[in-house]
Formats: sequence, C-alpha cells, structure tokens
Amino acid sequence: MRTLKHTVSAAALAAAIATVPLAADAQSVLRLDEVAVGELDPAKATDFADTMLMFNAYDTLLLPAQGTGGLVPHLASDYSVDGNDFTFTLRDDVTFESGNPLTADDVVYSYDRLIALGQGFSHLFRDHVASVEAVDDNTVRFTLNAPYAPFLAALTRLQIVDSQTAMANELEGDYGERGDYAQAYLSANSAGTGAYTVTDHNPQELTLLARNDDYFIDIPEGAPDEVRLVYGLEGATVRTLMSRGEHDISSQWLAPEIIRALADRDDMHLFTESGTGGFYIKMNTQRAPLDDVHCRRALAHALDYDSVIALIQITDEVAQGVPANGPLPAGMLGANPDLPVPTRDMAAAQAELAQCAYDPGDQTIEISWIAEVPLEERFALLMQANFQELGFDTEVVRVPWALFTERVTQVDTTPHIGQVYVRATTPDPDALIYNMYHSDVAGTWQSTEWLNDPEVDALLEAGRSTIDQDERAQIYRDLGARLVELQPTIYAFDTQSVYVARGAVEAETLMGDGSNSYSLDGANFMFRHMDVQ
Amino acid sequence: MSSTFFKTIGIRLWTSALVLVGVSILIFCIARVIPGDPARIALGPNATQEQVELLRERLHLNESLPVQYFEFVRELFQGDLGMSLYTNRPVTTDIGDFLPATLELVVFAGILMVVVGIPLGVLAARYRDKLTDNVVRLLSLLGVVTPTFVWAVFLMLIFAFYLEILPVAGRLSQGVDPPPGVTGFYTIDALLAGQWSTFGDAFSHIILPATALALTGIGQTARLTRASVAETYDKPYVEMAQAYGFSDRRIASKYALRPAMIPSLTIMGLDFAAMLGGAFLVEAVFAWPGLARYGVETILHKDLNGIVGTVLVISAFFLIVNMLVDIAVAWLNPRIRLQKRWAG
Amino acid sequence: MVAILRSEAWYKFRRNKLSMVGLGLVTLIVLLAVFAPLVAPYPTHAGAFVDFVNASQPPSATNWFGTDLIGRDILSRIFFGYQVSLVLSVVVLVIAVPIGVGLGLVAGYFGGWIDYLIMRVTDVFLSIPPLVLAMAIMGFLEPTLLNAMMAVAVMWWPWYARLAYNLSRSESHEGYVLAAEVIGAPKWHVLVREVLPNCLPAVFTKITLDVGFVILIASSLSFLGLGVQPPTPDLGSMVAEGAQYLPDMWWMTVFPAFAILIAVLGFNLLGDGLRDALDQGR
Repeated sequence: MRTLKHTVSAAALAAAIATVPLAADAQSVLRLDEVAVGELDPAKATDFADTMLMFNAYDTLLLPAQGTGGLVPHLASDYSVDGNDFTFTLRDDVTFESGNPLTADDVVYSYDRLIALGQGFSHLFRDHVASVEAVDDNTVRFTLNAPYAPFLAALTRLQIVDSQTAMANELEGDYGERGDYAQAYLSANSAGTGAYTVTDHNPQELTLLARNDDYFIDIPEGAPDEVRLVYGLEGATVRTLMSRGEHDISSQWLAPEIIRALADRDDMHLFTESGTGGFYIKMNTQRAPLDDVHCRRALAHALDYDSVIALIQITDEVAQGVPANGPLPAGMLGANPDLPVPTRDMAAAQAELAQCAYDPGDQTIEISWIAEVPLEERFALLMQANFQELGFDTEVVRVPWALFTERVTQVDTTPHIGQVYVRATTPDPDALIYNMYHSDVAGTWQSTEWLNDPEVDALLEAGRSTIDQDERAQIYRDLGARLVELQPTIYAFDTQSVYVARGAVEAETLMGDGSNSYSLDGANFMFRHMDVQ
Repeated sequence: MSSTFFKTIGIRLWTSALVLVGVSILIFCIARVIPGDPARIALGPNATQEQVELLRERLHLNESLPVQYFEFVRELFQGDLGMSLYTNRPVTTDIGDFLPATLELVVFAGILMVVVGIPLGVLAARYRDKLTDNVVRLLSLLGVVTPTFVWAVFLMLIFAFYLEILPVAGRLSQGVDPPPGVTGFYTIDALLAGQWSTFGDAFSHIILPATALALTGIGQTARLTRASVAETYDKPYVEMAQAYGFSDRRIASKYALRPAMIPSLTIMGLDFAAMLGGAFLVEAVFAWPGLARYGVETILHKDLNGIVGTVLVISAFFLIVNMLVDIAVAWLNPRIRLQKRWAG
Repeated sequence: MVAILRSEAWYKFRRNKLSMVGLGLVTLIVLLAVFAPLVAPYPTHAGAFVDFVNASQPPSATNWFGTDLIGRDILSRIFFGYQVSLVLSVVVLVIAVPIGVGLGLVAGYFGGWIDYLIMRVTDVFLSIPPLVLAMAIMGFLEPTLLNAMMAVAVMWWPWYARLAYNLSRSESHEGYVLAAEVIGAPKWHVLVREVLPNCLPAVFTKITLDVGFVILIASSLSFLGLGVQPPTPDLGSMVAEGAQYLPDMWWMTVFPAFAILIAVLGFNLLGDGLRDALDQGR
C-alpha cells in the first residue's frame, strides 16, 4: 500500500512539473487527426490523410474551382487544347522549398515517376496519356491517345515534385538510372512548392507541417504557422482532447453520437464537406434472387429511407448525408435533378415482388456490413427488418475490410448486399461511377454489383470520349436514369463529411453554403484557407 | 557453479534461437494464409492487374512457400526485413521507430506489476481470511477481471477528462522536443541529458498508459503470490520456522516468499512478456506511437513483411524475458539448481 | 470415505464467506444464462431486432440498464450474453486444459528429449502474441462461434503446459515423489497418482482466472469480426463497442463491463474457495 501511495504522489509531482509553462510559444498551431497512415509520397498518396498532405505540401497544374465546379489554372498560368494535345504554360514565380525554380522538367519527372511506380493515382493517366514532354523551360505538353474528357480533372491529382532534389536523393533500386526513384526520400520528406512544408513525418504517428512564407500566393495572416496532423486517435481520446481545448479539428470518422455530444458545446462548431460521393447499398446482380431486377426494385422500395437519414442526423441542421436520387450526388456534373427521391412504399414493393421470378421464402439474402464502420451494422439491421416484411430470409454478416475486398473478387462470394461509401477521386463524374458500373472493372469493392449492361457500358464510354461538357452532362443524366431503372444499387444518401472544430478555428472552404468549397474531397483542408487567430 | 551456470545460459540461448526459427516459420506461413492478396491490398483498388502481378513478383508471392521462406531468410541475414506494404517504409525503420516507445511503456508497467503486485499478495497471504486478505483479493480481482482497454478509457476519463491532472495522448506535450536519443526511452534519455522538465513531461505522459497496462498484471501477480505464499505457509518447514520463533518478516521473505515465487515468477514472466503484444488497445487509447499498434495494423492490412518483422521482434523479446525467468527460477529453487549442478 | 472427505471439504469451503459469495454468484449467473429466455424482460432483443425510436435510451423503468444504439434492451442482452460466454469458456477450457496439463506434466516429469521437444513447441506457440495467433487461425476458418472456440483453445493450451511443466518439475523432486519412486511405483502411476493431484490446486486457480480471460479474448476476436457474430449478444463486444461513446452513453459500457466483472469475480471466489478446501482436505 505504501508503494501505491508513492506512485500516486510521484504522479502528482510529475503533473506539477508538466504544467509549468514552457517557453512562450508565439507560433499559432492547428491540431487535427486522421486515420493512419499518412502517405507522403506523391506517387502513392490516395487516402484522405494523404490528400490533405498533398494539397498542402505540393501543388498541381490545375485546381478545382472554388464554389462553382470546373477547374482553374494553378501552377500553370495558362493552358491550351488542340485536339489531343494539351499545352501548359507554367507560372514563372514559383519556387520549390529547396529554392529551385519550377520548370517543365519537374512536371515531366513527376509524371514519369508516377507512372513508373504504378501506384497512387497512376491509373488516371496510364492508359490515356501517350507522352509528356518539356517544350521549353516553361512549357509542357501532354499528348493523349484519344479524346479523354476526365483528363484535365485528373491533373488535380498530379503533384509536381522538385526533380533536382528528388534526383539528388535517389538510392539504389529497381528503376535503372533512376535508382529507387527517391522513394525512400519522398516517403519521409516533402519536395514541393506547397503553402506548407513537412518538417517531420512518421506515417503512423504524426506529420508536422510549417507554413511556407515564400509561397507564390499570399497566405492570409490568420493561417496557422504550424500544423500537427495526428494519426489513429480513438474516438474517446479525440473527445477528451477537444473538451480540454487541446485539439482543433476532429476527423470525419467519429460516430454521430460523439459529434453530437461535442457539437452541443458552445465552444465548438461543425465543418462540412459534400457533393463528392454517396453511400451505396450495392446488390450483387448476378446472384439469385437479385439477378432479377424486380426483386432488386422490391428491396429498394421496402427500405425505410427516413430511418436511414435519422441515423446519420447529427443536429437539427446538419447530417452526414442528404437523400439521394441517383448515382451522382446533387451538384456534380451530370447529376439528374429530374429523378425522384426514393421513399419507402410497401405496396410498390409487393407489386414488384409479384413480378419477380423467385419466391422470397426460398431465398436467404446475405446483408454484409464493414466491421470497421459500426454505423453500417445499424443500416444492415434496418434492412434486415425491412426485407423480412417482404418475406425474405436474411442473414447479417460482419466482414472486415480486408476480407471484403477479397470476397468481392468472385461473383459467388460477393455478398448479396454490400454497403460502401464511394467518393470521386477527381472533380469529375467519371472518377466516381466508371469504376462502379463498367463491366470491365467488375469485382472490386467499388463494383460489387457485377453489373453487365451494354447500354451502361456505352454511356460510360461516351462520357469519357465526349469533350463538350454540356453533352457530357446529358450523357450522365441518361446514365443516371438507366441505372435507377436497372436498380443495381440502392442510392441511400449523398454523403456529407462532418467535422467538429474548436470555435476559434474557421475555414472558409468548410463553412457556410459551400460557395468557397472545392469540389474535391480533402482539398478543402488547404490550411492556408484556415484561420486560427 | 559459474561454469555450469554459464553453460545453462548457453543452452538456453541455443534453445531460444531454435524457438525463434520455429516462430519465424510458423508466422511466415500464417502471414501468407490470412485471406486477401497482399499486393492487391497494398496497391489499392485502382491498380491494374499488371501492377499487382509486378508487386507479387517482387514479393516472391508466386513462388512456393519454402522458396519464399528461403528468400526471406537470405534477406534477413543482410539485415533487411523488406518494405512495409502498410507504411511504405523499410520494416526495420518502422520497428526502430516504434519499438522503444512500447518497450518504455512495458517496462514501466512491468515495474508497477512487481512493485505493487507482490507486496499485495504477500500481505493477503500473511493475513489469510482476514479483512486485509479480502480487500486485497477484491481489489486484485477488479484489476484482473476488467478489460485493459476499459481501464484505459476509464483512467483517461477520470484523470484527463474530469480531473485534468494528467495528459491525454502521446509521449510528450506539444512543443516539447524529444531528449537526445540514447535508449529511446524519453524518461531515461531526459535524465541522462539532465533535462528535468522534459523528464517530468515524459513521465506524466507514461503514467496513465502504464497503469492501464499494468492493472491486469498487478491483480494477477497479487493473486498468484497470495496463492503460492499461502500454500507454502502450510508447508512443514515454514511451520517449523514459526515454531522456532523466527520473525514474521523473516519467514515471509525467506521461507514463504522465496519458494512461493517459483510458479508466480513463471507466470509473471509470461504476463510481462505478453504485455508487448497486448499493449495494442492501450496504445490506441493514449495515442502511444508503439509497436503493438503497428503490429495489429499490419495484420489488418495484410502487410506480410510488417507482420513477420513485428512478430519476430515481439517473440524475441518474449524469449529473452523467458530465459531470464528460467534462470531466476533455477537460482531461486535450490533443488533444481542442485540438480543442474549434478547434471553438469 | 469419499463422503467424509467431501463433507470435510465442504465445511472448509463454507467457512469462508467470500467463497460462498462466489458460489452464489456463479449459481446465479448459470441460472440466468440457462433461463435467459424466461427471465429476460425482452427475449426478442437477443436476436435481430431494431427499434431506432428507442435507441440509446438511458436506464429507465422499462429498460433498467438502458438501450443500445439499435434500441435493444441491454439487460436482456446481458442475460443472453452470459449464455454465449459460458458455453465458449467451458468448451475452450475443456479442450485446452487437458492438452496443456497433460503435455506439461509429461515434459516436466520425464525430462530428457520429451521435455525438450514438447517445451520447444510450447515456446513457439507462447512466443507469438495471442491475438495474432488467434486471428491467423481464424483467417482460414469461417468466422463462427465454434471456430472461435477452436482458435482460442489453440492459443490457450501452452499456458497450461508451461504451468504444469514448472509445477511437475518442482514436485518431482519433492520427498513423497522420490519416496514413491524408491519403492518402485511405475512412472506413469507416480505421475497420475502423486504429481498430478499436487499440481491441481494451481491449475484450479488458473482455470478460475481463465474463465474471465477466455471471455475477454473471445470478445477481442468478436470485435475484429472473427468470433461471435452479431446479432448474437457478446458481453465483450458490447463493452468494446460502447467504450467509444463514453462518457455520454455510459450505460452501454458500464453495465456489460459490470456483468463480465461479476461473472469473473464469481468464478474466482468459487475457485479460490475450492482450492483452499481441497488443499487442506488432502
């Protein structure tokens, strides 16, 4: 017992020492968290945390326009299109963190590196770009194989790396003259032109970024001097840190109940990000009874959409999504406003069921939910209750993500019902739905429907090869109507990411009516748009 | 004595190496049996089939298991555990980053376990069936029966959320620079460098996670110590010592505790060693950048090299601790020691 | 003879109030588990049941322990959770203890190459973190309750082997064993009749502790999606899932945690009492 007492008083002593104010710190700091890991290599970055890092430490030739959709020049001062040739003129006032000026060679190096490593977002380019060449120091030309409309939007994912710094840090490796293509270096250091530079990076723990006052755009006074991006905090930990005022912005992965509890406090407010994706309840269209469109429609009519929305409601005004009416979220190019928002209609469900070739009593429907997303269990149980009213026998199965991605590679092991959040990887509808519905790419976590419909394939291909944006919009509207008719998917809601922020932190891109928001998930976390004063 | 003693240690070392080989084979096979194509998971859903094939080739995944294992051992002897598919860094770098943090946590928890657990157990045995005994038993039971992560969450809520006297997360406060790395233990490094405020900060950060991790072990240790000591109190030689009128304290330490420590020590050694693998939930709650968390993430991401590397390190730690325990057991039990001498 | 011994042990057992408390708790829990469908206020809540209107309600007159995120009565789920936990623990220990104790005793008593072989295999299993081992085993099995039990049993036996090994090694040099050997009793006979009974108290102590640990480990497996499948209630999963909603929805964590605590407490007190009673009765 005496020992215990000693421990306690030692603890108190240590606490006393720890609370002695440390050296006065005039630096303003922004503290936020994301799930592990943070990938810093521009040729490998894909996840949300990676995206945050990319849009702060690096820049791209084009950026999504704020508020309106569309694209605006960024590192490029101007660009011209001539058939399949895209020529970009680079700004002449941009320097990397090393002090090297930005040149066309950097763009070529960055592109070559992305393709050579073959990871990250290389799939956005590899089958479509024939060549990339430096015309002169300030001009770079991309030549495509064929017309490919999503190309410009894809450029928002091509971060430009400082080629001189990278080449100076290439180690021995598999890429011939290029050694390891500076993989070791760039996974631990930034070498970009960004508004922030990475000062320390541990992919499972923490990334520290410092403001780059030489940035080619003026950074407002209120933007943080330093950013601490922490990885892998538990919900309860974030909640405690935020209540103590030791954390500024939560991740979007907190449970609605926790966000609600935090939002109830006067010193907190909510950030939102929307319009880039949806929550999709995907039905395996090649397994009985869901290979019959009438059975699929019966299920879609039976779902209690109001309850789904109630489950994601956080406050009276804010929810983690809004009712969807089709595959593309409202506001995205080609979203079809004419489609009705589905509602629960048991009479319609029974009518469809009557036309279905299968007897519901003979069928067991496997409803899966992703173990890492506890909210999906509630959706699964709701579906179970709803579908049982139609007479279907159901089985709710929890599947860890890694197992899910494995199971969906075969038709027979793909669950009848899968629940997936999908977001567009570039500000273009193609980046959201091509990988979901084209028959060539069936059998990934995005395409567990195994849809094989020639009309859908044709529309998806037309959407890629048609350059005129108005024509494209019409193509995607038609596609939306066709998909709602085929009902491979129940369109439950358009997702909205919700973050809790300390009241003193403001971000124009994440607040208000979205008129300052970028139409690309994660790009709104450009720290230069934030105000921590 | 000394030559046989060292011979014993030599044999133990050899055996441990043998077990480590066994572990490496077992975990190597297991890592490749967990469902999911590691190359596909590492590259993400948008990678093309060719890229996946390329990575499979590079990881030797298309070879037979024995060939893969041979490749692994060959690279291991060059000090290379491969690249982590999860963090995209060399596994050795990851382990070098995360291991000291976990070791520091586990060592602190181990110290708590022994320093608090054993005295509690002896106390309970000495006053068996009295109030003290019952109080200690109930307290240690509480420690044992409550899941570690519940302890972690409750401790955090009490001391960090409501009382706000201890920090919530990480190893150091924001703005405090890590002390110059010698051992990788921030507390010890800070002391070595004479940085008192850094020491205080590091120490205040480790209290809650170490306590959460240790509570199960404390309870377990107290219970085992009580059970063994109580049993030896009934042994003739202790009764005889009592009859001779030796002091309570002397009986407790010399006659009752020492032989009673043998089974307890074995289990404590196992418990202590198991902490390294079991620290996961504590590390998650307190955002402790350690190896256990890394290990579980590597499994979930089917990061072959990461799994094998982490498990090998944890197993090596386990074997070393075990070896020390065995030596301690041999030293504590005169009869076994004697037998060893004859055998040698 | 047996009756006298038994009654003497029973007397010793009864003398300790805590042991009786343990017996009472275990009896209560077993009864609750067996008669869960009869005593639970809402038996249907153990299965697929959804009531989002009444979700996340704090304790009240209708739901004494509150409701969970899906609107199910937590008290009812705790009773059914006991069912699952008890079955799981018993099966795991019935598999793991005989294997572990048997191998450990043989290794410790006979020594030599048998010792070496058995204990090295034990070491290999012991030195892999338990959760990793169990996850790996579950990796190539379907996630069902039965397979979860197999996986836990596989990671459990080495602990008993290790314990029994150390006990038998130290016991085999005790006077009574040497005496039995000197008078020419067969080795197997000595092992089963002399060494084994003397190891049992420690094994009993560990078993009583382990009922709780089996519940905990099984629940970590469930939490990773590899063990008990929802909606089947599992106390460990309830705690793990509720923990992220602390402190606001404390009832989701506190009551199931308390239920685990009560169960393990009961088994511990009971086991301790048995140990003391049998020990002195010998």
